[in-house]
Amino acid sequence: MEKKRVVTREFTLGAIVLIFMIFLALTTGFGSTSGLFSMMLDVSPTMIGAIAMALIIFTGNIDISAGTILGFVGFVAAILAKAGLPFYVFMPAGILTGMALASLNGWISVTFKVPSIVVTLAMNMVHIGFYVTFLPNAGWVLNLADSFTFLGQGRFFDLVPYIFVIALAVSFLFMWIVKYTKFGKSLYAVGGNRQAAIYAGIDPNATIMKVYLVEGLLLGIAGILKATTANRLMPSVFQGREMIFIAAAVVGGVNIMGGSGKVLGAVFGALLVYLLSIAMIYLGFQDYYQFALQGIIVLIAVFITVTDWRPLRKRIARAFGQGRLPEGGRA
Amino acid sequence: MQEENESRGSDTILRMRGICKSFPGVRAIHDMDIDLRRGEVHAICGENGAGKSTLMKLITGVYQPDSGSMELDGHPLVVHNPNDAYAKGIAIIFQETSLFPDLSILENIFMGHEVRKPLLGLAKGPSYLDYPGMRARARAIFERLGMTIDLERRVAELSVASRQMVEIAKALSFDSRILILDEPTAALTNKEVDTLFSTIRKLRGAGVSMLYISHRLDEIFEIADRVTVIRDGEFVNCDNVSAVTRDRLVSWMVGRTLDTLYPKENVAIGEVIFEARGVRQDGVIEGVDLALRKGEILGIAGLAGAGRTELALLLCALARKDGGEIRLDGAIVDLRNYQDAMARGIFYISEDRQKCGLVLPMTIRENISFPLLRSISGLLGIVDLRRDRDLGATYMESLAIKAPGMDFIVNNLSGGNQQKVSVAKALATKPRILILDEPTRGVDVGAKSEIHHIISNLAKSGTSILMISSDLPEILGMSDRVLVMKKGAKQGELSRAELSQEKILHLAL
Repeated sequence: MEKKRVVTREFTLGAIVLIFMIFLALTTGFGSTSGLFSMMLDVSPTMIGAIAMALIIFTGNIDISAGTILGFVGFVAAILAKAGLPFYVFMPAGILTGMALASLNGWISVTFKVPSIVVTLAMNMVHIGFYVTFLPNAGWVLNLADSFTFLGQGRFFDLVPYIFVIALAVSFLFMWIVKYTKFGKSLYAVGGNRQAAIYAGIDPNATIMKVYLVEGLLLGIAGILKATTANRLMPSVFQGREMIFIAAAVVGGVNIMGGSGKVLGAVFGALLVYLLSIAMIYLGFQDYYQFALQGIIVLIAVFITVTDWRPLRKRIARAFGQGRLPEGGRA
Repeated sequence: MQEENESRGSDTILRMRGICKSFPGVRAIHDMDIDLRRGEVHAICGENGAGKSTLMKLITGVYQPDSGSMELDGHPLVVHNPNDAYAKGIAIIFQETSLFPDLSILENIFMGHEVRKPLLGLAKGPSYLDYPGMRARARAIFERLGMTIDLERRVAELSVASRQMVEIAKALSFDSRILILDEPTAALTNKEVDTLFSTIRKLRGAGVSMLYISHRLDEIFEIADRVTVIRDGEFVNCDNVSAVTRDRLVSWMVGRTLDTLYPKENVAIGEVIFEARGVRQDGVIEGVDLALRKGEILGIAGLAGAGRTELALLLCALARKDGGEIRLDGAIVDLRNYQDAMARGIFYISEDRQKCGLVLPMTIRENISFPLLRSISGLLGIVDLRRDRDLGATYMESLAIKAPGMDFIVNNLSGGNQQKVSVAKALATKPRILILDEPTRGVDVGAKSEIHHIISNLAKSGTSILMISSDLPEILGMSDRVLVMKKGAKQGELSRAELSQEKILHLAL
């Protein structure tokens, strides 16, 4: 009965990503230096955003306002840079902004017992409304400071962007944190079986507040990275990015109902979602076709991770004349 | 065996004295004394609702006792919450699993109390999870249980029996000295039970004390050293298993006086109108036959988990049967779904009125007319509100539902009045066959007797009633006939003349 699953879902996903990249490189200009550079540049913030979203989803929650938080963080960092402040001021300021906004989501959800999807959906509207109404020029920042964009333009060996190295570092760090810390384990516990988590001495509310704080930290980093690759930006411009993060996490095998999934899966999911959009550009699909196709892929991914396959297996077993389920099926 | 017990002797690890616990309107546990000795398997035995689960929740800190004292190793014991209980070496193996299905066995065992290592070599600094350390400990625990298991497997892939082993391993990872097993064999096959028992014996040999809750008497005789019987939340007796007989245990468990009036009137019972032959559901219900006559109340007795509700669901097509036939007025009918059953006059009132019976945030009137919306709707499915109100008023009055008005929200009613709304909802459809599942559970005494009156009047007016109940006096008082179930099968049938608590329990245990 003790069969080991040799091939994990993340391994399969990684293989798909790799094959996809090779295929793209062989058939298009993707494999060129500039193609690879722009991939690493574009995918880095998405990788971090997908990790942030995955952590939230592990606990059975979600953040619909992630895109706008990302945008506002970029805005805050950009105007501080434009005001001549050095990076050791504008970077922590941006990150703290992300942490503050995200923990506000977590705090409201926990304190008033409102499902996070409602809280973050509402907060998203609040953000957008405020930015457009109160920020001068609807928050447009033009001609970003050099002290700011150098991070987005810089590259190692003329190929690897600084920000990709940061994204990789964050990925490895969070793979480690989720596996090797009590905090990481408690995310799965809260999302997998809340009652059992309480019985194991884990406080679900405290865990949820913490995970939003950490999400804010990651959105802060992602927001700054994203902003440094632009030459002008406004806070509401990244509204909708949260859907890409959710898509990446879900395609990466994170169960949208909470309790399971891997950080590595979310990273590969981000790569895959990005590669799909690139492939569609090369194939000449228009924006909204891409949108539709990404939606369909998310649906399939959710179907695969959420579906209880046992009834289906039972039916198959019956069709082949076996009355009983093999070990592992629920009696 | 006897000497063995003596030699373990007076070495008491857990002592409970005069424990009381009440909930609003219910005295759950009263003046309870229990002694658990070191390295013994101590069975706690009692009918449904005798207070076994409450007692365990008191020991594990889910509830706090109102009065009385507990001692662990001679020191006063206060358990604040289940996690605190673990820390003090008391672990419970829950009936419903408390595992995380998507995590590995290893992660499950150490969730919340992971083995950690300092990160920077600093004893007080940050730490990280020590997987090799956890693996080694988990392996040692499973070795103690005499099994090898792949620690990386997801719990969702395991059988019920293996999950239980993981729970036991989890309990042992706290170095538990007291293990509480709550109906551990409920979902196991015979072979799995044997494995569990050999594990229990190993643990006993290693000095672990166990409280074993079960109402399967055979198991108690096989595995337990001593047995305590409780009834209605009170201590009845405690003795060495080798010194008691099955009959003695049963007589301790019953012996309750019929203190409530049951108004079942004698009614002329007509011909058979509803019949089930060999109805079965694979792995749940094994070929049950029953016949129900016009105006008859057929009680269905049995212990929790005997398959009574499951049988009821099959009879009214809320669950799909795998074999057997159902006859109405002598003709075989094929009930495709519950709507179909309702159209033929079969109505089921769930034991869980909060979840399956009523729409709590809606009004009394709306709840009553739900099953009838089609028949009181006119053109384009617009509900005829006057007929809707008439219905509401009729049943409010005839069932004496105590509420300010029919537009009162059901959620704000007492349990008894909620149950009456459930019944009203059924009656509005004018059923020929009414299946009542625990009709008076969680209902106060006054409302209980009113509900009994309603049931009795229904039978008088010619409705046939199937009544599932765990309340033995209720079964005895209300039924014309009683069918006793055990492990998904019909164990026997008793006519009104033959009925007694002992006979029912003998069949049910």
